[in-house]
Amino acid sequence: MILAGLTLLQLAGIFGAAAFGVTVLYILKLRRRVVAVPFSPLWERILRDKEATSLFSKLKRLLSLLLQLALLALLVLALGDPRAAESLIKGRTVVVLVDASASMQATDVAPSRLEVAKDEVKKIVRGLGGADRMLVAQMDAMVTPLGPMTGDTSALERELDGVRATDTRADYPRALRFAGDVLRGVDRGEIVVVSDGALGEASDASGPVHLGDAELSFVKVGTSDRNVGITQFSVRRYPLDKNRYEVMLELVNTGAAAEAVELQLLGDGALVDLTKLRLQPGERLPRFYPQLSGASRTLDDGQHDALPADDHAFALLPERRRAKVLVVTAGNTYLEAALLLDEYLDVTDVAPGAYTAAVAKGGWDTVVFDGVTPAEMPKANALYLDPRGPGSPVKVGAALVQPGFDKIDRKHPAVKFLALDDVNVSAGHKLEPQTGDKVLGASDGGASPLLIAGMRGGFRFVAVGFDVRDSDLPLRTAWPLFIVDCINWFTDEDAQYLSSFRTGEVWRIPVLTGVAQATVKLPDGTSQAVPVHEGRAVMLGEHAGFYELVAGEQDTQFAASMLDASESAIAPQTPPAVDGKTPGAPQGFHVGVRREIWIYLLLAAALLTMLEWATYHRRMTV
Amino acid sequence: MKARSLVLAGASLALGGVLLWAYLHFVWYAGPTLTWKRSGIDYELLAPRMLGIALLAPYFLWMIGRSLADLPVAQRVLSVLLRVAFVGVLALGLARLARTATTQKVCTVYVVDVSDSVPDAALVDAKDAVQAALDARPKDDLVRLVTFAKRPRAVPLADDAKQAPVIERHGPGLGGATDIASALQLAYGLFPEGYLRRAVVLSDGVQTDGDLLAEANRARGYGVKLYAIPYTRPVPGEVAVRDLRVPEHVHEGETFDVHAQVFSSVPQRVKLVLKQGDMINGLDGVKDVDLVAGDNDVSFKSRAAVPGEVTYAIEASGAAQDRFVENNRATAVAAVIGKPVVLYVDGNPARASYLASALAAQELNVDTSDPLPTSLREAERYDFIVLSDMPAERVSMTQQETIEQYVRDLGGGFLFAGGESGYGLGGWYHTTIERILPVRMDAEKRKDEPEVAMCLVIDRSGSMSGLPLDMAKQAAKATADTLSGDDLLEVIAFDSQPTRIVHMTAAKHIQAGGGTEIFPALDAAYQALSTTRAKKKHVILLTDGQAPQNGIRDLVQAMAAENITVSTVGLGGGVDETLLRMISDVGGGRFYKVADPQSLPRIFTRETEMVSRSAAVEEYFQPHVVSPADFLRGIDIASAPFLHGYVATKLKPPPAQEILESELQEPILARWHVGLGWTLAWTSDVKNLWAVEWLRWPQWGQMWGQLVREHMRQKRRQVFDMRAEIDPATGHVHAVLDAIGVDDRFQNGLDAALTLTGPMGTPTSATRKVPMPQTAPGRYEADFPLDRYGSFLLHAALEKAIDDGHGNMKSATVAESFGHVTNPYPREYLALAPDVATLGHAVEATGGSLDPAPAAVFDPAGEVIKYHEDLWPRFVGVAIALFLLDLLVRRVRIFDRKKTARPSVKAAA
Repeated sequence: MILAGLTLLQLAGIFGAAAFGVTVLYILKLRRRVVAVPFSPLWERILRDKEATSLFSKLKRLLSLLLQLALLALLVLALGDPRAAESLIKGRTVVVLVDASASMQATDVAPSRLEVAKDEVKKIVRGLGGADRMLVAQMDAMVTPLGPMTGDTSALERELDGVRATDTRADYPRALRFAGDVLRGVDRGEIVVVSDGALGEASDASGPVHLGDAELSFVKVGTSDRNVGITQFSVRRYPLDKNRYEVMLELVNTGAAAEAVELQLLGDGALVDLTKLRLQPGERLPRFYPQLSGASRTLDDGQHDALPADDHAFALLPERRRAKVLVVTAGNTYLEAALLLDEYLDVTDVAPGAYTAAVAKGGWDTVVFDGVTPAEMPKANALYLDPRGPGSPVKVGAALVQPGFDKIDRKHPAVKFLALDDVNVSAGHKLEPQTGDKVLGASDGGASPLLIAGMRGGFRFVAVGFDVRDSDLPLRTAWPLFIVDCINWFTDEDAQYLSSFRTGEVWRIPVLTGVAQATVKLPDGTSQAVPVHEGRAVMLGEHAGFYELVAGEQDTQFAASMLDASESAIAPQTPPAVDGKTPGAPQGFHVGVRREIWIYLLLAAALLTMLEWATYHRRMTV
Repeated sequence: MKARSLVLAGASLALGGVLLWAYLHFVWYAGPTLTWKRSGIDYELLAPRMLGIALLAPYFLWMIGRSLADLPVAQRVLSVLLRVAFVGVLALGLARLARTATTQKVCTVYVVDVSDSVPDAALVDAKDAVQAALDARPKDDLVRLVTFAKRPRAVPLADDAKQAPVIERHGPGLGGATDIASALQLAYGLFPEGYLRRAVVLSDGVQTDGDLLAEANRARGYGVKLYAIPYTRPVPGEVAVRDLRVPEHVHEGETFDVHAQVFSSVPQRVKLVLKQGDMINGLDGVKDVDLVAGDNDVSFKSRAAVPGEVTYAIEASGAAQDRFVENNRATAVAAVIGKPVVLYVDGNPARASYLASALAAQELNVDTSDPLPTSLREAERYDFIVLSDMPAERVSMTQQETIEQYVRDLGGGFLFAGGESGYGLGGWYHTTIERILPVRMDAEKRKDEPEVAMCLVIDRSGSMSGLPLDMAKQAAKATADTLSGDDLLEVIAFDSQPTRIVHMTAAKHIQAGGGTEIFPALDAAYQALSTTRAKKKHVILLTDGQAPQNGIRDLVQAMAAENITVSTVGLGGGVDETLLRMISDVGGGRFYKVADPQSLPRIFTRETEMVSRSAAVEEYFQPHVVSPADFLRGIDIASAPFLHGYVATKLKPPPAQEILESELQEPILARWHVGLGWTLAWTSDVKNLWAVEWLRWPQWGQMWGQLVREHMRQKRRQVFDMRAEIDPATGHVHAVLDAIGVDDRFQNGLDAALTLTGPMGTPTSATRKVPMPQTAPGRYEADFPLDRYGSFLLHAALEKAIDDGHGNMKSATVAESFGHVTNPYPREYLALAPDVATLGHAVEATGGSLDPAPAAVFDPAGEVIKYHEDLWPRFVGVAIALFLLDLLVRRVRIFDRKKTARPSVKAAA
């Protein structure tokens, strides 16, 4: 037995003082009233009787004193908050993993699986033995202990109220490993998993999970398997025709009955498509919406059933930003014409003499040098047409007569879909790449690079080793596409864009400004500061919806969706054996036994006080 | 007295009723807890139903009414009030009244990195840091300790500990990873309620699992302020091969660079050995390199001679300072793509060398020795099949069907080239091959074509009876079908005597008869033809027996003099081969020795085509381009020399596409899609007969090379980009495949699967298949854990369900993708320089700092934390006080102290 409240010494002090007071009050005789009686011999007999019973009377008084002292002892002991000592009885150490993954938001049991799970855990908490200790952890994409390992049931119940559902999948192996770490070296360790059971194998990149000596038990929550979920949803611009895009979504009926659903596709909040579908049990239905266009930025997709979490998916169209292009040229109609092709270019032409002033303004996404090479590279991505002299990003070598593109790096985004094979060039220069540069096109069977891409000082460049007017390139379709592809590559506006992040993963959102912290506005309206590392804001995504990232002057929106077929499969199940242990129902948690002894002490005091009151007033004790 | 008792009992009952109603209404049905807020503080009753104890109050009231105690009324009232208050206070205590209170006590968890990358001296520093914290700790604050490498461990530390424990590593095999995020998660479980939360991470910042930055965000969400003390001990000398890079694809025989990224913490000299497979790399195997501090790029030249996968392994040795040997080795795999294989079958193998050598010069592997495949399995190894100038009877039905399946299902390319045995001339009319080609062979004869007079001389001797004669009749019918309406046909059946049949309808009258007498029959044919006006006159003699040779030579010579040609067909083994060969040689025709009567109709048709030359156009002409095609890029057809002839065909309706055509608007080169593949028809030949001038044309080889490359099996054509990498936070392989067609369309709805093979070059190499579900238009992704080390080859196959032509759906590979990932050794040995930047960003995100002073981590910095304060002990205290007061009231007469005077005494006085 240990005392969690006052120390034994303090209790002894309090009890001593109070008991002394009580005893003194008992030693003091209650002063009798003087009552005048008319005939004393009558009372003498009574007094005689009283003397005969004085021993009994003394006893009654002693009993009364003892009762009072017992009452006092109960109260004082309660102040000490006595607990069963661990050393005395070897208690259990329990780690409860409460599944807070998306499937726990299912409403097949009222009000939701998660609330039912919390109630189940509360039952276990109330059933804790006197020497048992417990730690409650929330299990979703991460594992989060909600408090320390404790035997304080009210603290545990309070912690449970802090469990919040997320739109992520449960990382079962991670949670089990955590529980294993907590229970390392503990004698009677026990892991209780409270979940709907769609947890998968307990194995990850480090191999299968080992639990050591800990017991594993499982509390199943949920009843229904009826659910139709959106398991894929994304939008992507076409690589060449960037004004158009395609939407893909996939619906899965994870239940055992056919389901009819209504599917809405919303673009910028307005209805784009409404379809009524019937899905057979287990059916996976991909749908594509090709060749969409319009000014849509946000796409939202929804239908309704038992698990609301997977009824909505969100995606954001890759934003088309107007690229600011500075063209340094003495005049080149072909170049100007090519730059007219893309309406998303904001082009400024300057003569070579005005370059220094123009570039000093800054804010350029791309600078195009047409036959001009400044002594210093601009702090922007640059396209060099026929570079010369020391300012060139690559060394300009020997002159070439009638070079051609014998070798083309067709995988590079700047030349990916272009037909440059039969471009005729009358004269050019061999370019000499540095380490890390990519030769996109070369003449003489690959020996003389003509087209080079690379990085200098954190900015990208492309260098063309000839004056395009000395070739038939400007007369070909490939020419404007080449210019646009180069600019797209510079501004990273390519088809690699991710229209939606997935919840449960660590998101790395590109941050263009050089700040160390960005602010992310969550779908629920709250804001959160996130660290920026190596040009990316890093955060763990837990909720689906539209987000907004503010970093310095940058203000970007992005979307996140759950899109997880395993979470959409909500049929309750028992997870497979872990480390050879098949999880059974938890044993030995019997509701009804409170572990706080002081409660019983006070209840006893209340009972005793009734008894004492009755005996005193009926003069059974005095 | 009695009335008073009754009144009290009634009042007790009434009070009890009111209390019970209030209790039920406000407490029992109000829920498990009751909360309210008063002057900014939250109050809560955790077990409000315990307030039911207060329902005892009427009992005390009722009891006082029945009291026998000798107490003044006022004292009784006071006593009952005190007792009711006592019970009420007890009830409040039991109902567990609690409130949120604030405190500034701090609990700091020291999270100490003990992974293998941490030098021993740093662990001593860590212990000193914990000791400094214990020394600086204010009285009420707490220190907890967690050590971590791959997994975290809580180290027991008493609340009042004065001495820091020794920091120990986790044991062999457990230090090969660093997971700071998991360590912090364990630490969250060590903060008691009512303490400000602080964590101090002692680490080099290099993490192999988890993501500290994301965790820092979460930590802040849970109110944990992070500090970090980066290890400052110098990193011991170390050499590590961080990466070995080979080009994704190399072609057979190509020379390429293999790049090794070698890290060294100090400038030093090492020996690098590069192995290709089990052998030292032939071109460039061993290098002694002076490394500079930091990353070094060392390149080796290599060449892969054999198609397939080739494993490269590099090993660094001989370094003066090197802590871990685990990271001195890396492997990589290159997929060596062999040249495309073309099967070229020519009817005349002696003349096959022209196209074969042209294709070989275009970096194609040409196989001219194999026969046409008879099964898809055999066909699979070819990327393109050329069938040139081959008579139909030499290609079996099975072979023809195999070609069809090869093109349709495997996406193969098939070129059918003409010649004297091509198209109609080779008897290809109405065959499977004709069906899959983009041209028809039943070319209508043009009006200026010469009329043909044909005479079939058919043996009807006794030995021909049965099937041979039936087939001969069918052959005669086929001949009539092949000839056009203007042509003339004679059929002469002979045994010992010839019988002339003028009209075709009479062919059915041919009956088996006696012996074989060729001369009279031929003579009859000669007479018939010599009187007929026709530009071409031809006799086909069919016999199965021996005959006297007398006079036949002279007769045939006479026929030749009148431009009457004679071909002979010997059926069965009993023919006089010498005689028949002589007749055909002298008669300017051809001799056919046939074992199977079934092939007679085909031979007759071919003969007819040959003679009538209705299909062959032997003119000099220059083809011109009708519709441009990619494979013609860089080829100037207008500059091409003349072709000397072709076989007339007709283009099938679209999607058949005519690329080149003759001056007579007949197709020279046409193509169309068949299933997944292409078939092409080249109606001229590919050798020194019709195309003799083209053989000398400089672009001859280039044209065929480009044609083959564009139309060969899609396997080589549809290769999509795949990016594969190992996520440093999870150790998962993440492979992304972008399937975008050349027409800017996303390739959707394909069935993609990724095959992972490896670790390459080890005996434990295994193959594993993972699905690659589609995640976006044109994008397929796979994400799976990888728990082995080495180099792995990835191959993604994209399949599509297609109709096999018989109404069944089957799956066929339409595209593929290659990639590789390298997981050389545990990531712990990969990053060797401390990553203070990550630590810095992480602590900044939570408001902490790097290298805090020991006192700073216990500084609440104005922060307060709310905690739940249970108020029941106070109520117990109050209860004790009330109890004592009650006792006082009952045991000491407070009111009515005056003595009542005795009347007698008063009277006496």
